[in-house]
Amino acid sequence: MQSKRLFDRIDSIRFTGITKRYGNSFAVKDLDLEIKGGELLILIGPSGSGKTTTLRMINRMIEQDSGNVTINGLDTKDVDPVRLRRNIGYVIQNIGLFPHMTIGENIGLVPKLEGWEKKQQLERIKTLLNFVSLPPEMFMDRYPGQLSGGQQQRVGLARAMAMDPPLFLMDEPFGALDPILRKQLQKEFLKIKDEINRTIVFVTHDIEEALVLGDRIAIMNQAELVQVGPPEELIFNPANDLVADIVDTQRKFKHMDTLRVKDLMSPFENKYVLEGNTEVCDAVDEMTKREIENAFVFEGEKLLGEVTMVDLMKCKSKSQKLIDIARPIKTFQPKDSVAFALSELKNSGEYLAVVMNSGEPVGILVSDEVLLKLI
Amino acid sequence: MLTIQTVADVWSRHLMTIRTIEHLQMFSLALILSIIIGVSIGIFIYMKQRTANPVLNFLNIVETIPDLALIVLLLPILKLGAGPTIAACVLYSILPIARNTYTGLKGVDEQYTYVAEAIGLSPRETLLKVKIPMSLPLIAGGIRIALVFCMGVVTLGGLVAAGGLGTVLQNGIQLYQKDAILVAGLWTGILAVFLDSFAGMIEKKLQERYGTW
Amino acid sequence: MVVLETVLDATWEHVVLVYTTLFVSILVSIPLAFAALYSKKLELVVMKFANLVQAVPSFAVVAIMVPLLGIGFTPALVAIMLRALLPIVKNTYIGLTNVDPALIDYAEGVGLNQWQIHRYIRLPNAYPAMFAGIKFAGILANSIAVLTAFIGSGGLGEIIFQGLIGYNTNTLLSGAIPAIMLAIFIDLSFTILEKKVTPVHAGE
Ligand SMILES: Nc1ncnc2c1ncn2[C@@H]1O[C@H](COP(=O)(O)OP(=O)(O)OP(=O)(O)O)[C@@H](O)[C@H]1O
Ligand SMILES: [Mg+2]
Repeated sequence: MQSKRLFDRIDSIRFTGITKRYGNSFAVKDLDLEIKGGELLILIGPSGSGKTTTLRMINRMIEQDSGNVTINGLDTKDVDPVRLRRNIGYVIQNIGLFPHMTIGENIGLVPKLEGWEKKQQLERIKTLLNFVSLPPEMFMDRYPGQLSGGQQQRVGLARAMAMDPPLFLMDEPFGALDPILRKQLQKEFLKIKDEINRTIVFVTHDIEEALVLGDRIAIMNQAELVQVGPPEELIFNPANDLVADIVDTQRKFKHMDTLRVKDLMSPFENKYVLEGNTEVCDAVDEMTKREIENAFVFEGEKLLGEVTMVDLMKCKSKSQKLIDIARPIKTFQPKDSVAFALSELKNSGEYLAVVMNSGEPVGILVSDEVLLKLI
Repeated sequence: MLTIQTVADVWSRHLMTIRTIEHLQMFSLALILSIIIGVSIGIFIYMKQRTANPVLNFLNIVETIPDLALIVLLLPILKLGAGPTIAACVLYSILPIARNTYTGLKGVDEQYTYVAEAIGLSPRETLLKVKIPMSLPLIAGGIRIALVFCMGVVTLGGLVAAGGLGTVLQNGIQLYQKDAILVAGLWTGILAVFLDSFAGMIEKKLQERYGTW
Repeated sequence: MVVLETVLDATWEHVVLVYTTLFVSILVSIPLAFAALYSKKLELVVMKFANLVQAVPSFAVVAIMVPLLGIGFTPALVAIMLRALLPIVKNTYIGLTNVDPALIDYAEGVGLNQWQIHRYIRLPNAYPAMFAGIKFAGILANSIAVLTAFIGSGGLGEIIFQGLIGYNTNTLLSGAIPAIMLAIFIDLSFTILEKKVTPVHAGE
């Protein structure tokens, strides 16, 4: 059963003259594109522009009408699709964890089918859960329904990594998450990305995500590739108006000096508030229930700091109180200038701040890496 | 109306321990056969979608046939004894099980089959590891309906010399022994209700475990 | 040998028994279903308890009639009703409750009284479910009516039981086949009726 791996590392993936039609309309038209080994290539573009189709032709979920996809020079048409897919990690927006399997079973499914030994499977599951900051003893035997959206997304990533594939395909993996959660996962993902050092093709709608994560960005429109290149190139040398519009940084940039924190902040919500004397254990459950990864710790009216799910789960003693582990967090006034606030955040290496107005929290400021690059 | 004494009397005079065992034997054999055949047909018509409507329509017609008439139809083929009764049980039970299996398999959300395909499960593995487990609550629902059918038909078996608790009812009516009828009737009812509730519990458990809707 | 006349007589008895029970069941069911709208207890009986009772084998129900009501047409009718009633009440009730609340609001808004709402909104809305219940009850009644011959109701079952005594295949079939044809007739006729009362958009 255990099949030999098709490839251990990716040197390049090449699309040559790829066309895919549905009826009379093109989903992808005459695509020529090379993805280099080890890079993270972003596919971005308007809805229906052919991003998902392009992605799915790599693992043969969709068969092209004409043209070739080669991986390390090997034409994918000549490979058994099941073998091919077991060598490629796949993560999608709605995650699709199987609801009838525990988290452990979800992650261990393909290793099991590949005939791994029980012990080996278990070890792999634990390693992966730790890797995505979910303590195995706490999560392995839960069902997907008992996890928050962010936690499920992490499991989705862990499942994709099960066979240690050299290539990942990710279709809007953070698309369904709210902005703050998305930011947190992106940040973690960036770390993971550097650690695993794999080739990744990543579809997104979010230009900021693209600019932050992408080594190169491919912009698609109406089934065609418009421009591909590193972020700077797209920003400073857009091929046409559409690219300029998608990259959209000009406008923000122009107004940079007039922008205030209140223009950029998201409204403060009570779900982000936890009391200082809450125990770590309870906090984890509560945050899972509230579907949040970050929380602000208050003692009465007073803001003590911030905690993240990842911190809480790394915490040794589960009976500790939040008051002991909350990290101080920056606060700004609504009328502060964005340029000032962002550079403050950048200097301290944080990405979140609370906006306070006369002692009361009114908003959350999430750092905008794109703007930061332009300051 | 019924004293413990009369119950005990009836019980021993009509060999009700043996009758109950016969009853449950026929019942379990019929149910197991029904499950095997019903689930197989359900999977078959799911894989060959074009056969689904004709097969289900045919089974629907079988379903309308009066149970006693069906047993009688089978008598010339299978002779007196438990054969026709068990065969009739199975014929009735195929529909609910096959229909629910089919509906369950069809109802599995596309996102799961899609993911299964994407992470490299073969069609066979997708069926065995994802689609069938996810359909279990519905399949169990079908089996529960079949269980009720089988209990009903097995009881009729008494009329065609198949044994079981129906025999006691038949004798009771023919000899006009009210006590025997009451005891056997109530006991048969309790047994059926108990098994049905038990199946209901399992169904609910499965729903919690595997259900997504 | 069975004479054609005997078969026709038995078929007629059978039809009378089935349709009388069905008719009485419908008459009883509809008020019951409406009453369940007003009484939580009754609703519980209809929706939960009824399911349990439905599990009791028909033969047990038919047999128990003998010590309670004796033999003949009436006990047979009661036995069949005990089974046929529940699907109708249950389905009617489900149909009555599955009305878009906005529709009721609107009806109240334009000044319909309770009775008119029941008559013109809830009841028509319940027709499809109700007819599905009646069809099911009809097939069930036809099936149990064969059995009640054993407690003296007459009908096609009587021919079958005669055939069983002497183990005469011809006799058996001349009882069974008309009963099966009747079942298919009931199924078809109610399917057609069901289509007639089901609004096109709810046809799915
Ligand atoms: N199975 C299908 N049948 C018919 N048309 C399809 C099918 N799949 C995709 N298309 C069409 O092909 C085009 C490209 O679809 P694709 O899913 O690749 O777009 P996308 O860029 O991923 O869009 P989105 O951002 O909305 O996910 C669209 O116009 C879509 O309607
Ligand atoms: Mg897409």
